[in-house]
Amino acid sequence: MTREIEKKLRDTVRELLEKETIDRIVGYEAGSLKFSTTPLITSNKADVDRLVINPFTHSNLSVFLRDLCGKVGIVAKGCDARSTISLIQDRQIARKDVFIIGAPCDGVIDLAKVEKLIGLDRDEIDDIVWQGEKAAITFAGSTQKFSAKEVLADSCLGCDPSDFKECDMLIGEIEPIVGGKELGQDRIREMEAMAPAQRWEFWKKEFSRCIRCYGCRQVCPACFCDRCFVEETEPRWISPLPKWQDNLIFQVVRMMHVAGRCTNCGECERICPANIPLGSLTKKMEEIVDELFQYRAGTDKDAPPLMAAYQPDELEDLMR
Amino acid sequence: MLEKWQKEFAVFVPSKASGVSQMEVWDGQDTAFLDRNRNTAVPPKAKFLPGMEKMFGFRKEEGSYVVEPTDGEPPKQLLFGIHPCDARAIGIIDMVFKDAYDDKYYLSRRENTVLVGMACTSPYDSCFCTSLGFGPADATDVDIMLIDIGDALLIEEVTEKGRGILAGAKGVIEATEKDEKEAAAARESANAKVSRKIDTAEISRRLPLVFNDREFWEEVSAKCVSCGICTFLCPTCYCFDINDEMLQDGSGARYRNWDCCSFAIYTRMPAENPREEKWRRVRQKVYHKYLFYPELFNVIACTGCGRCIRQCPVNWDITQTLSKLPAGSPGKAEEKQKAS
Repeated sequence: MTREIEKKLRDTVRELLEKETIDRIVGYEAGSLKFSTTPLITSNKADVDRLVINPFTHSNLSVFLRDLCGKVGIVAKGCDARSTISLIQDRQIARKDVFIIGAPCDGVIDLAKVEKLIGLDRDEIDDIVWQGEKAAITFAGSTQKFSAKEVLADSCLGCDPSDFKECDMLIGEIEPIVGGKELGQDRIREMEAMAPAQRWEFWKKEFSRCIRCYGCRQVCPACFCDRCFVEETEPRWISPLPKWQDNLIFQVVRMMHVAGRCTNCGECERICPANIPLGSLTKKMEEIVDELFQYRAGTDKDAPPLMAAYQPDELEDLMR
Repeated sequence: MLEKWQKEFAVFVPSKASGVSQMEVWDGQDTAFLDRNRNTAVPPKAKFLPGMEKMFGFRKEEGSYVVEPTDGEPPKQLLFGIHPCDARAIGIIDMVFKDAYDDKYYLSRRENTVLVGMACTSPYDSCFCTSLGFGPADATDVDIMLIDIGDALLIEEVTEKGRGILAGAKGVIEATEKDEKEAAAARESANAKVSRKIDTAEISRRLPLVFNDREFWEEVSAKCVSCGICTFLCPTCYCFDINDEMLQDGSGARYRNWDCCSFAIYTRMPAENPREEKWRRVRQKVYHKYLFYPELFNVIACTGCGRCIRQCPVNWDITQTLSKLPAGSPGKAEEKQKAS
């Protein structure tokens, strides 16, 4: 099945380039490690055969759109397409300069979860494929099956496919194998059950590991500021030193800044080299935004950005 | 042995207890690291060049500043389970901290540290140490080296310091010829498992020729997102920034913290930023490690540990870029000579 979809994608992109409907394409190609993909950014038709669709298309490719010139085709999962729309709302890219190719997505598989389940590093795992609604994982000469819920990324578990509203062309279905609002919420509910002092200790411990690599910021399409607040020295908002207090404030402020722009693509958490559960913060932020403003990021390209517009009849109990 | 060492040193072992795999103070009990024979995520360089280090304090007194040096010697530490790539990397960056001046912060930690190496038996797919002139079981730059030969660990004494810590250790016996043979076999086997390779001779030949190939560098840098992950996890990266933390009364402290040449602001100055464009920064990373450092110190500033490849958010792979370097032309080498 995947081969057909891949062929369809490649043929489509080749034609778009040939007809000059797009000047370049941003998609996924096979990575240099097992179970990985890497962005393919090219204007060359000959490169199109390298495009892939598989459960490891993790990157949110919309992060590259601001820096590319001409009309750019983007192979977009549901969350990535919404990030693209969100960038259009923020006037960071023009609608006419992007061609959104809705890529089929069953949800991405979280390799860290798989490694933990099996107790092996990816290097020792031979294969990971979907077989119906289960993930068939081959290692040490045998194959074991796991339910989708155990291997899908948390951000995918909470995916609402109906949020994906706009694209120029749809190659295949966008719907995680299992999903639904409640499924992606386990960790949030766990944390809400903690007493505030407990929750504080939890995040203090997590942010003590932060090395301020800014990976979370750099992979995030919603973090597009040319000058991030952490780079400001007059006034200095937070210390550039990786003290847990400043690390925590950095992330909290970053969350506030991306409120209404974050589509919960899960990249910040996936790439964090210190394993900080940033997805819990993004998920909770998304919930708060939905609850307070009935707003879902990237669902309406004509809507003003959430925090940049004010309606007189808006909920005012924020101010007490 | 670890317990004996604990009496004299702060003993660090590879551990995931903090939530990420790095060198942590040994809790006296855990031995999981003896079985899991792979690299930590955060390299041991953090023990010599911490992510954040206080250099000195200062306070205002009668209109001028009084400097308060940080006290005393750093504590004696023993790092257990260092892999050859990380050990060699430490040897590589030692040179920088003894170059223009003796960096006492780094060097005093180094002097007070014993390195107990552990040979790799199962390298990652991302490892490529064998291309950089050594192997996953080599005893370079450690004080003693341990090799797992199944029922025992073979100990290779490398330095006086290493010999010193073994004195009086219980359970340490002379290795037999059979033991030595098994260790040699373990070394061979580990070497053979390193599948990723680069051709450093060809790379050294091509790099001077392709410096100005902007098209190539723009293409290979397109997917980099300019974060600090590869740099901060790299055992041979050592750049640091210096920042003062001040209180209202004028007192404070000066710190150094890790910096990254991939950051857009790394070379930003009031008048200009010579590496404003991403392709220049990505090019710089490659050149610093594979050409400029060797020009200064006669060694490539990379030990093939593969962390950059595994942890990069977009799987940017330096070995792929190095193997795709255009053949270049002699004319371009002249341009670079003129430009420099």
